[in-house]
Amino acid sequence: MTAPAPRLEAVDVGYTYPGATPTQALEKIGLQVHDNEFVALLGPVGCGKTTLLRIFAGFLEPTTGSVRCDGATVDGPSPQRGYVLQEDAIFPWMTVRENVEFGLLARGIDPAARGAVGGELIELIGLSRFEDAYPKELSAGMSKMVEVARVLATDPAILLLDEPFGALDAQTRARMQDELARLWERRRKTVLFVTHDAEEALYLADRMLVLSPRPGRVKADFRVDLPRPRSLETRFSPAFSALKRRIWETLS
Amino acid sequence: MRRVPTQRFVLGFASLAAMVLAYTVLSNAHLFRPEVVPPTQEIAVAFTELVVGARPPPVTEGDMHAGHHGHSSAHVGTLLQQGVTLQDSLAITAARVLFGLAAGVPLGVLLGVLMGWSRRADDYLHPLYVLLRSVPPLALITYVMLWLGHGEAHRLIPIVYAVAATMVIPAYHGVRDVLVTYVVAARSLGARRWLLVRKVLLPAAGPALLAGLRYAVAIAWMTAVGAEMLMSENGMGNLIVGGGLWASRTQTKADPAVVIVGIVTLAAAGWAMDALARSATARLTRWVR
Amino acid sequence: MPPKKDNFFSGPGIRTRTARALLSVGALAVVYGIASEIGRGRLPDRIWLGTHYVENVQLLPPYPSLAEETTFLLESGILTSSIAVSAGRVLLGLLLGGAFGILLGIATGRATRAEYLADPWVTFFRFTPALALLPLFVLWFGYGEGSKVLLIATSVAVVTILGAHQGVRSVPRVYLDAAAALGASPGLAFRKIVLPAALPHIFASLRIGLGLAWVTIVVAELIDARMPSLGYLLTLAGAYPRVPTMVVGIATIGALVLAFDLLALWVHARATRWMRRTA
Ligand SMILES: Nc1ncnc2c1ncn2[C@@H]1O[C@H](COP(=O)(O)OP(=O)(O)O)[C@@H](O)[C@H]1O
Ligand SMILES: [Mg+2]
Repeated sequence: MTAPAPRLEAVDVGYTYPGATPTQALEKIGLQVHDNEFVALLGPVGCGKTTLLRIFAGFLEPTTGSVRCDGATVDGPSPQRGYVLQEDAIFPWMTVRENVEFGLLARGIDPAARGAVGGELIELIGLSRFEDAYPKELSAGMSKMVEVARVLATDPAILLLDEPFGALDAQTRARMQDELARLWERRRKTVLFVTHDAEEALYLADRMLVLSPRPGRVKADFRVDLPRPRSLETRFSPAFSALKRRIWETLS
Repeated sequence: MRRVPTQRFVLGFASLAAMVLAYTVLSNAHLFRPEVVPPTQEIAVAFTELVVGARPPPVTEGDMHAGHHGHSSAHVGTLLQQGVTLQDSLAITAARVLFGLAAGVPLGVLLGVLMGWSRRADDYLHPLYVLLRSVPPLALITYVMLWLGHGEAHRLIPIVYAVAATMVIPAYHGVRDVLVTYVVAARSLGARRWLLVRKVLLPAAGPALLAGLRYAVAIAWMTAVGAEMLMSENGMGNLIVGGGLWASRTQTKADPAVVIVGIVTLAAAGWAMDALARSATARLTRWVR
Repeated sequence: MPPKKDNFFSGPGIRTRTARALLSVGALAVVYGIASEIGRGRLPDRIWLGTHYVENVQLLPPYPSLAEETTFLLESGILTSSIAVSAGRVLLGLLLGGAFGILLGIATGRATRAEYLADPWVTFFRFTPALALLPLFVLWFGYGEGSKVLLIATSVAVVTILGAHQGVRSVPRVYLDAAAALGASPGLAFRKIVLPAALPHIFASLRIGLGLAWVTIVVAELIDARMPSLGYLLTLAGAYPRVPTMVVGIATIGALVLAFDLLALWVHARATRWMRRTA
């Protein structure tokens, strides 16, 4: 039995930002994400998580090494790899519905089919009441969910999420994590999820990679064998605490 | 990285040169009458004549229309007879612009700061400001002249007024936005009023004010030249229209060569003043930050 | 309702503010009325204008004489036709100059080459007082409508080029990246991302251009005064001089500028309903 090719793969990826004082953000990163796997990438602020994700998304070319998607070298962005930016990138001049349907519009799908997919996703994230609202009426958490839904609408095989809940309060963040977990149970995808929150990574992921401070390198690789679907119980289970302890030990 | 400014310079220069060349070819091709589209060399001659100024013997009727004495048009002739030179006209207009800025900027900033600082003052003064601002400054020129007579005041007041009206808005928004965002924080830290003004208000409102100032400089030039075109015996506006517009109320019989010389000079002067304002901005914002 | 403290952070309500606005405008009107009554017979009515005296000048015409003048100007149709002509020129110039400026500004915002090519010319026209072009335009395009409309178009184009350029340049990178990640073609990204994001800048520059257009037209009509037009009205009023006509003319121009500006603000607000407003 041969192992299937990984969906995403980075081989010895290094990246240095050019400029008057070049910054080396990444150094010799190697990692693999397999089909339908939820991998969390954990690391301190400024260690190069966003840089790595932008390389996977096709916005940056690695200075050294290479990244591959389904065995082919990544060159440029593709809706095949849905990318949710760390910054707020919801289009403020479009309604929730227009935002969610944008990727379908880009594909030239006709309005009726767009409407069907859009409506379903908006309902899935629980924002039916807001579908004609402009983003200024949404809370930060709701906006981020719209961005996730916008990416899901094009049905990408791979999701790249960059600290989607980084700016939220603990309570909202927990709710959004549940929401994302639920979405993922419904529509299995290959996910690479960037975060600086160990608990968030544990709660969501099948596997967890810990990056070192800049320049980022993979410092540890954990399997998260917590049963699914996860719930409040999971957060307080002994297994969860034990994993958390191990992570903190690697970090310090 | 070093290639970008070079490309900018080369392309910009090429675009200028191409336009001048095209104009030269077109104006020399006998497609238009030279009194309408003066050839480039004629413009250059008009420029020298206006800079050198004095033309030795008093101009006779015959001389004025003879083409072989360089670029002699009635327009240039009249100007030279009156002893007008390009540099003098520019200096006079620049002086008016500077006066307008010196008087108008403090006035406008004061009003803007007052309205930005106090909600009550804003409520009372803003409607009056909006009404006043709606009147184009130069529309007032004849009315002001009736009040203050035919002197310098009626040319200066529209400039001061235009500059002040322009400066109110950046001052107002600068102060208001700063108040709303920072002052609550600073006040809760126990900062005193004067400290607040010096350390918070000024640095934060500074960039908006300086940006407004650059805009006001352009407005001041526009208004000054307009006022001079309407009624003045000197300055760049007078040079361009050949004077006496107000007095005779005839339509302009301007020499396009003089107009082009005037426009290019004004553009250069405006650009120079803006460059100055820009470098001052850079310096001041560095100090402010 | 509990009484609110009168400062910026918990200001008085809209009714108080409206009352204050009415109070100050009303006060100005009353002060003018009183001043004109006091001034009647006391202000000089014979004025030296450098070359000659003018007689029978009412420096502060009282309300009845203003009302009489307005009625006359309206009934004779002078005022209405002047408004129509001047406003028509402004609108046409705004349309032409705005369209040209926005297109060029978008081009220079998108293509660096275009920017470098256009740069010296934009700089040149930016610092040329548009009015100085009038004698040239009159020579080239005649005394008719053409030169006036073109002059307005020039002054509007200069600011809208800058507005559109800045608008296109300041589209946040994240929106373009997000659109590209979703598979948007450059054309779609331009229509759905660049244009809406640049719209606030473009509108702001159009508003400035509108203000400039009125300044330009009034002076252009003062200099080349013909046909019914507001500038012509002011020139006539200045020639007699008839101050009531002057005051009515100035007030009409002010009211038109204000009306156009409010209209522009309203359109802007409608077109950018999505924007977060800070109170
Ligand atoms: N555009 C850029 N130019 C130069 N340096 C950058 C740029 N973006 C990020 N960096 C630097 O690269 C490092 C990694 O950045 P980033 O990938 O954003 O980190 P993270 O997402 O983990 O917080 C940081 O030290 C940052 O300062
Ligand atoms: Mg990051």
